[in-house]
Amino acid sequence: MFSAYRLIDPTSPYRSLCRHFALIWQMAKRDVVGRYRGAFIGLLWSFFNPLLMLIIYTFVFGYIFKSRWVGLTGGHVSFAVILFAGLNINAMFSECVTRAATLIVENPNYVKKVVFPLDTLPWSTLGSALFHLIVSTVVLLAISVSANGYIHWTVVLFPIVMLCFIPFLVGTMWLFASLGVFLRDLKQAVGIITTALMFLAPIMYPRTMIPTQYQSLMLLNPLTVIVESSQDVLVWGRQPQWGLLGLYLLCSCLFAWLAFAWFERSRKGFADVL
Amino acid sequence: MSSEMFPEDLSIYADCLSKRYEIYAQPADRLKQMLLPRLLRAVGGGEQKYFREFWALRDVSFSVMRGETVGIIGRNGSGKSTLLQMVCSTLHPTKGSVRVRGRIAALLELGAGFNREFTGRENVYLSGLLYGIPEGELRKRFKAIVDFADIGNFIDQPVKTYSSGMYVRLAFAIAAHVDADTLIIDEALSVGDVRFTQKCMRYLREFQQRGTLLFVSHDTTAVINLCSRVIWLDSGRMIMDGAAREVVEQYLAAQHAADRKSLGENVALGPVASKGRSTAKSDVGDHGVPTDIVDSRMGILNGTAMRNLVEVFEFDAVNINSEFGAGALRIQDVRLREESGAICHMAHGGELVDLEIEARVFEPVKSPIFGFFVKDRLGQRLFGDNTYVSYLDEPIEGEPGEKLLARFRFRMPILPTGDYSIDVAVATGTQDDHTQQHWIHDALTFKARESTMRHGLVGIPMHAIGIERIEGGE
Repeated sequence: MFSAYRLIDPTSPYRSLCRHFALIWQMAKRDVVGRYRGAFIGLLWSFFNPLLMLIIYTFVFGYIFKSRWVGLTGGHVSFAVILFAGLNINAMFSECVTRAATLIVENPNYVKKVVFPLDTLPWSTLGSALFHLIVSTVVLLAISVSANGYIHWTVVLFPIVMLCFIPFLVGTMWLFASLGVFLRDLKQAVGIITTALMFLAPIMYPRTMIPTQYQSLMLLNPLTVIVESSQDVLVWGRQPQWGLLGLYLLCSCLFAWLAFAWFERSRKGFADVL
Repeated sequence: MSSEMFPEDLSIYADCLSKRYEIYAQPADRLKQMLLPRLLRAVGGGEQKYFREFWALRDVSFSVMRGETVGIIGRNGSGKSTLLQMVCSTLHPTKGSVRVRGRIAALLELGAGFNREFTGRENVYLSGLLYGIPEGELRKRFKAIVDFADIGNFIDQPVKTYSSGMYVRLAFAIAAHVDADTLIIDEALSVGDVRFTQKCMRYLREFQQRGTLLFVSHDTTAVINLCSRVIWLDSGRMIMDGAAREVVEQYLAAQHAADRKSLGENVALGPVASKGRSTAKSDVGDHGVPTDIVDSRMGILNGTAMRNLVEVFEFDAVNINSEFGAGALRIQDVRLREESGAICHMAHGGELVDLEIEARVFEPVKSPIFGFFVKDRLGQRLFGDNTYVSYLDEPIEGEPGEKLLARFRFRMPILPTGDYSIDVAVATGTQDDHTQQHWIHDALTFKARESTMRHGLVGIPMHAIGIERIEGGE
């Protein structure tokens, strides 16, 4: 029963998504609704949260630091929008990874007491993160419309960009969820990793602003391609760099496959240390 | 799972199943164990272990046919839970393998699969999905599940607010409605109230008609009632696998032997006071002096409310809480009589009473031993006795169909206010090596009221009480 997935099959990471979709959906739904249960304005938090963050970032970087985005016209609001496009990606990554590190540790019953498809836990976490990303994106588009009066047709390409991002995210979660069981320090390190990746991605500044010799180095940051592609389709109204995105998708899938294989191998050890 | 190796009518097949728990000092050692030995082997280095080991199960092999009900018994720590967890595949066998056909529903621990923050309703759906029931189908069965669990409006409360009884009711209700081919029950039923336990037993009996049942319980009576076959585990090894009654009998015998060894003679049929052959001459001791002692206050107290009143509840053969035994003799009635011979409903502390135990013989027995214990509310054994020494020289034999009556006459002690019960038992053999044929826990219960006693467990009659002035004042 354990080796129901054949690890040499590169589509194996997505098998459980199909097989347990109803379960994943329920868990994700519960996660979204449950997070704000008891809060006065409830689900509205997922709307206000990004909005308030956006105001703070715009104030700090736009007004105080007077950051300017090369080639961008339209003042603070435009700056806010492009900042927002990148921050959303980082927020999603950060939510996924932070929770991944404790995903298994916090659910020992699922490991020891019941037969639970543990590999679905990252999927449901991803589902709830995706919900928050969608809300944030809607906020972004709304601000865009109110500032410019239109949105670019290229926003329809945004789901494709996300599709390339997802294998990387879920792979990272498998990896961190598994390592988090054995290396309890990981939880502490995650905060630093996500913050570092935020500042080392072209979120608050364009990639062109850094010295040319380091520009391609920045592509090693797994967020870079996705952040730039999101900015392309949501803010600039141009098509993403398909070649780069395609390569990213390839790496992303390869990574997810390896991470999944690792997760499935290492899960046998979970019960021994929980 | 290769099904070609797996006959159609086989439900569970365990082959040399062994589990070694690897106990790691820190979680990171588990990671090292996963990676380093392989690396070291690759470079030709020596082996190193990062854990201490503990074998919870060793080379257990058995197979269960479809539709069979198998009980698993054993003391705590004998490997029962480990075995079940491997059958449910929440645990990996270290060696050997186990294969199971079809869907398993397991009640291993109180609603362990529940998410405590979720409501009962949400947990029903989650658990159902985990069992692989489609959502639409779940919606159809939802009402039946809630009706079975009978927890009312709590279904929309988070399960963290549930009592343990409600927890297990909901968990059982779900397991009962997932069309499992194999059901695994581990002690779960002991938590619910009587009505729910009855409902579960009814369900289990009905389930036995169509599915495979694995039942773990310390209640050997329930095991015998439900199971045709029993597996007895001890220290991770299979001791016996056979007909239910036979295995349980052996198991209980071993248990008693172990108990006596560890607790001295205070357990089972305990120490025997010198008592006459028949109750008639028991009031006279070895020296011909009446040894019966009457509390000196009896005369004063008897007329007052301070008298120690003992209210006795009748023996109810149908509603026995818990019993066990091999069954060669069965206790059919237990009663307390007053000195006059009338059935006693109210005894008084300090009065003579007869405890009578009536048993029918089902198989020929040599030297049956009757015994009893009086226990307090907490189950502490206050006093008790048996017939062993009294009949040492001329053992009574019993033939099937005969009825034996044992009588113990004693003064009802003065007891502190509270609830008491009497365990009665009949065994065969000797003091040191016997088989319990029938043991009934709490066969009689009684209440003591209006006691002059406040402290201590049992009051003893005072020969005399007095205050003297031994030195005059000024």
